[in-house]
Amino acid sequence: MSYMDDTQNSAPGSLPASKAATGAATSKKVNENATKRLQNELMQMMTSPAPGISAFPSADGNLLFWRATIEGPEDTPYAGLNLKLSFEFPANYPYTPPTVLFITPIYHPNVDFSGRICLDILKDKWTPAYNTQTVLLSLQSLLGEPNNASPLNGEAAELWDKDPALFKTKVMDRHKDIEED
Amino acid sequence: MYEQDPAAQFVHQVSAGYSLPQTLPQYTFDETPLRLTDRRGRGGGYGGLGGPGVGGAAGRSLLYSPIFSTPASANAAGVGPASSAAGHFNFHTTSATSASALTSSVPATTHHRSSPPHFAIQKMEPNPEDLVAQEAAAREFQPQLEGPFVGEKTPSSAITSEYAKADPVYIQKTAVLPRTYSHYRPIQGDGNCGWRAIAFGYFETLVKGGNKGQIEAEKLRLEGLNSYIETIGGHSPYVYTDFVEETLLLLDRVAALAGDPEQAMREVYATFNDSEIGNAIMYHFRLLASSYLKGNQDTYGAFVTDEAGVQGYCSNVLERHQVEIDHLGVSLLVDVLLKPVGFVLEVAYLDRSPGSEVNSYRFPEEARDRHPSTLGPIIYLLFRPDHYDLLYVAEPEPIPEPVTVQVHRVAFSPTYDIASAPVSMPSYGINMGVLGMLPGFHGPPPGLAPTLLDTSPSPLSAYSPSPTSTWMTPPFAEPPQQAPPVSVAVQAAPVPMSLPIHTAPAVVPAAPLQTHPLRFSEYCQLPEYVENDTWREPSFQTSTFRNSHFNVAHYNNPNFQPEEYRPEAEDYEGPQRGNGKKRASV
Repeated sequence: MSYMDDTQNSAPGSLPASKAATGAATSKKVNENATKRLQNELMQMMTSPAPGISAFPSADGNLLFWRATIEGPEDTPYAGLNLKLSFEFPANYPYTPPTVLFITPIYHPNVDFSGRICLDILKDKWTPAYNTQTVLLSLQSLLGEPNNASPLNGEAAELWDKDPALFKTKVMDRHKDIEED
Repeated sequence: MYEQDPAAQFVHQVSAGYSLPQTLPQYTFDETPLRLTDRRGRGGGYGGLGGPGVGGAAGRSLLYSPIFSTPASANAAGVGPASSAAGHFNFHTTSATSASALTSSVPATTHHRSSPPHFAIQKMEPNPEDLVAQEAAAREFQPQLEGPFVGEKTPSSAITSEYAKADPVYIQKTAVLPRTYSHYRPIQGDGNCGWRAIAFGYFETLVKGGNKGQIEAEKLRLEGLNSYIETIGGHSPYVYTDFVEETLLLLDRVAALAGDPEQAMREVYATFNDSEIGNAIMYHFRLLASSYLKGNQDTYGAFVTDEAGVQGYCSNVLERHQVEIDHLGVSLLVDVLLKPVGFVLEVAYLDRSPGSEVNSYRFPEEARDRHPSTLGPIIYLLFRPDHYDLLYVAEPEPIPEPVTVQVHRVAFSPTYDIASAPVSMPSYGINMGVLGMLPGFHGPPPGLAPTLLDTSPSPLSAYSPSPTSTWMTPPFAEPPQQAPPVSVAVQAAPVPMSLPIHTAPAVVPAAPLQTHPLRFSEYCQLPEYVENDTWREPSFQTSTFRNSHFNVAHYNNPNFQPEEYRPEAEDYEGPQRGNGKKRASV
């Protein structure tokens, strides 16, 4: 826990910053809290990584923007593909969910052509108990088990059951490895 | 915002068809003191989930969803103050008879007239598009949140005036509320209020206890519960440490300030009004409650009504930020947080259920039928449909003799009110009947009154229950000799209930000023009255009077003025609890 001991709240008896805080100081502080949490999550991703997923803050040093990678699970049309995502964390994270987008073009019933994802835990089912790792694990399982009842890509939802072979073709057609920027 | 709402247009459309008053939308959106909370996304026209925490959701949905006009939601809506207005028209009646009665009495358009029952069904069915739009609006609705997360301690008479124009049941209940609970502390209605209120109450009670050892023990206990959150709750330390840390840090700070409760309370107050830290502490408690549920499924599993089961209930309700606590959540939090440290939670339910006082309910169960003096510290909550605030009772003090109470009132009445304002006589009920038989009832000698009023604490013995011992008896004129024992009794008496003449200035500094010129008697105008500040309105306490419009605290009184309490006099306004009933029955 020592890595978090340098925050301003650690000193017993110290008054919270809010007492004298101006608006700017408050929002800075909010960022600090989100940042602190994200440092924890980064630590988790590095010390106890889950297979097939990885995530790291973007190169610019801003902890509120992350890049993540999901390896397409075996036995799914996405096997062998590397799918990249962007995470944008709000200032009051973890109380509101991050905005997650597929950067890699993907053909999937619950992802639209802009990469937007329809997943309940990223919307109204979000709880602060979720984190980057659980989100990535959920997305990984979504690849193999799409929710075809509420598709963003209607054609994909239809083909998933009707014509798996054509679905696989469409996946491969759409997929395009992107360069890390 | 509502005028552009397609749903509102729908109401217009319906009301035109029925030729209902055009003010219908106005009724529905009338400004209301109801606090809006519960921002859970699925807020729609559902109700009856059970548990006080969710019951109000349907009430809210009606206020903002006029098209959910099924009888079910109409019934469920009978919880908010505004629904008193909504209940006046029979818009929600779907029975064919009343619908056709409406149409026949109305110059409706011809194609409607041809088949009234059919018309009724057609018009009552909302357009699916309107429904979708309304649902979307309800989903995206964000209540206007004002004020701090946790407010300052406020005299609870503010609640009374808030409800002054609400349903009679609310008026009645809020009118007596300040007697039992002198103060309340508003909590922001952001959907976390129940959690926030209990969490704040927990820290406040620790601070009041002033026991450094207890606070440090609590820190150790909560630290020890981390493994519970991890193993039973199934949450990664990477998730919960941030939240737990804030709780422990605040406990540290409070423990360091254990000798200085005022400073410690400022610390707690500031911490809870820091959104991030306050939210973290609350979320820690949410995780505790959900872990406790997972660890005690045998006990609590049956109470989970969520179709997604215990796991789903935890992630959909307990662990979701800004989703309101429900009855099960309160039970869980009490069991895991308050019960081990010996704190008791009492919730006063202010709703439209029949009765003259708020119903209160105590957690944990075994504390229910016991006298407060045998229990540990009690945290009081006020529940209004969909919202929790903190309540405070004044510290209990010795209960005065009931005889004192009755005799004081009899003694005072003729001097003040009878001679000057006969119109309020009936309000005195039984007392007046007794007084009417007394000699000299109709005309107290003018010279007597000043003497009487200057004589603040009167000997109790002079007012034996015998109706023949009148206010004219000598002891009135010579109080000093017996003053000491009486002043004790006066101190013990709750100030708002005792009549002003017994309120010695030494006991209550800066007595509340209520200026109502119309109610002055000729005697009150005498200079010595004014100088002595003895002409103030008495606080009328018979239930008949209190509920009549002769009471200035009644909203129909032309001089309406809510009862006022001053925090600085709190110590003397105290023992309403348990005492109020006794007085009301006198």
